[in-house]
Amino acid sequence: MQKTGGQLVMLVAINCLLLVLGAAISGGSFLSLFNLQSMASQLPEIGLLAIGVMLAMCAGNGGIDLSGIALANLSGVLSAVIVSSFLSSTDSETAFSLAFIAGALAIGFLGGLTNGLLISKLNITPILCTLGTQMAFMGLAVVVSGGKAVMVGSPALLSSIGNDMFLEVPISFLIFVVVAGLIAAALKFTPYGLWLMLMGTNPKAALYAGFPKNGVLMATYAISGTLSGLAGAIIAARNVNVKFDYGSSYLLIAILIAVMAGVKPEGGYGRVICVVLSAVALQLMSSLLNFGGLSNFVRDFAWGLLLLTFLAVGRYDLTGFLFPGNRQPVSLAPRPHAPKRDN
Amino acid sequence: MKALSKKMLAGTAVAAAMLAGSAGALVAQEKPVIATVVKISGIPWFDRMNTGVDAFAEANPDVDASQSGPATADSAQQLQIIQDLVAKGVNALAVVPMDPAVLEGTFKRAMERGIVVVTHEADNQTNTNADVEAFDNADYGAALNERLAECMGKEGKWTTFVGSLGSRTHMQWVGAGEENAKKYAGMELVDPNNESFDDANGTYEKAKEILRKHPDIKGFQTSAGNDVLGVGRAIDEAGLTGKVCLVGTGLPNPSADLLESGAITAIGFWDPQKAGMAMNAVAKLLLAKKEVTNGLDLGVEGYNKVTVKKGAGEGLLIVGNGMVLADKATYKEHLF
Repeated sequence: MQKTGGQLVMLVAINCLLLVLGAAISGGSFLSLFNLQSMASQLPEIGLLAIGVMLAMCAGNGGIDLSGIALANLSGVLSAVIVSSFLSSTDSETAFSLAFIAGALAIGFLGGLTNGLLISKLNITPILCTLGTQMAFMGLAVVVSGGKAVMVGSPALLSSIGNDMFLEVPISFLIFVVVAGLIAAALKFTPYGLWLMLMGTNPKAALYAGFPKNGVLMATYAISGTLSGLAGAIIAARNVNVKFDYGSSYLLIAILIAVMAGVKPEGGYGRVICVVLSAVALQLMSSLLNFGGLSNFVRDFAWGLLLLTFLAVGRYDLTGFLFPGNRQPVSLAPRPHAPKRDN
Repeated sequence: MKALSKKMLAGTAVAAAMLAGSAGALVAQEKPVIATVVKISGIPWFDRMNTGVDAFAEANPDVDASQSGPATADSAQQLQIIQDLVAKGVNALAVVPMDPAVLEGTFKRAMERGIVVVTHEADNQTNTNADVEAFDNADYGAALNERLAECMGKEGKWTTFVGSLGSRTHMQWVGAGEENAKKYAGMELVDPNNESFDDANGTYEKAKEILRKHPDIKGFQTSAGNDVLGVGRAIDEAGLTGKVCLVGTGLPNPSADLLESGAITAIGFWDPQKAGMAMNAVAKLLLAKKEVTNGLDLGVEGYNKVTVKKGAGEGLLIVGNGMVLADKATYKEHLF
């Protein structure tokens, strides 16, 4: 409990620190409303993908979702191609927007379900399965779009999701926060959340306890896929166009965010709030470096350092090492893996 | 709780130490800021452009010009940099878009905020004040192909490489090349538009495959800067130097050995240094609310008498005359 609470406190502290540092080096303009809005509108796409990765990791048994960004691009591309074949984005703006978003979500859901079916029914290792589907999704997006960017246009509803503010907060960011909240609630209050975490902690015990293993796996990857679909819709809303190779660097960043948020790669534990904060921290840091006019190679380096810092503090009780006088008594007795449900 | 705060302290201390280096990079700026954003930083092409941006900054002390770019070739990363620069409040952006379509929305918002947007290698960009091109893309593609046809004796199998199928200029070059080759009935295009992703090793492997599949191939026309190196190495190792012709975009310095050995027939390029200077010069003119007209001299070699047309959107399309075709005999005049 304490350890995981520490992760949260540390993420909050890092975020505050980055904000203060940003204000200091930019003479305040880092904290200007426009920049805060700009950063908030950059966040949702990668944040949604990171939550998807977190869910897959929580499922245990080497769970991971590598197909996130490829599926997001496929959702955007395929939905744009299908919807614009019977609706025009300029004539029927609302209908086009709604159909496009519904299409993207449905394609994301189906893609995720495919992952879930392959992993649960055919027992394919998640990393191999999602690596395969990642390539398949990307290839399909290339075929459907012919390798070119597909124009979605900016029909009113979609354009407001991408660009407008509600009470000075970007709408895409609000959507992200609401979705993150829903998933956090689902993990905490529904049997699904309990099953997921317990299964991740000890798959064998879960099987003998009669958990609906396949159902949970399929639901997990389907949710992850739907989040990718949503990310695809938001990318389209923001950029006007969708393309198969957009965000190829997001794959590793999404995993980085999840690991930095203290999600256990071996399964059974992860908190949505930590993933959100960790995504915010990465966003703040990358914007900060751009504000400072520093090379983007420095950014990769800084992210790596940040990750190592988190791993060191989280795993090896670095505080005790730094302040040996106040070392907390640490129980060395092996503890059973108790389920932790404090999302 | 005590332990928690200690952990927090340790974490912040480490993070602070890590970021201390980045502080102080920014000083109060009153001069207009022109930010150049390239497709990817740390490769020779854009390092060369950086020398142009630096030279421009030195020659124009009344503006603050600098260059940045993503560490990975990903349009999403370039988009983030541009968004952050817009939020930071630069006066002008000079961008070489990784993917023009992805940047449309952000450029539109930037222009609404009064930021001057100048692009390069993106003549289809609708949301830009001006797009600067070193030359007419169709002319360039045709010139490359004409040189290839000459070397091939105007007959035989040939193929094309592009950086990626989404790279518009590359597709225009090979498209114009294909058009040009139609003049010669003996030239047969096989397996066109191979994607190289500007990776010399990947191109090398792909070129070997093509040489195996078509043992009688006689010509390659390549597009991305590293393609000539990969294909050239494949031709060299297969012992086909002099039998297979290779004409493509490339830089003189890295290509020097292969040009000497004859594995590369000729390279075509424009000097990214001059393009960087021209972009910044146009940005400065537009910031000063001056008009860019047909025949104007930007004060940069190859851009002394630019052609100004209407661009894909509201903006201008400024075309220079910066094409260079160099072979074994002439590449030493352009060593960079």
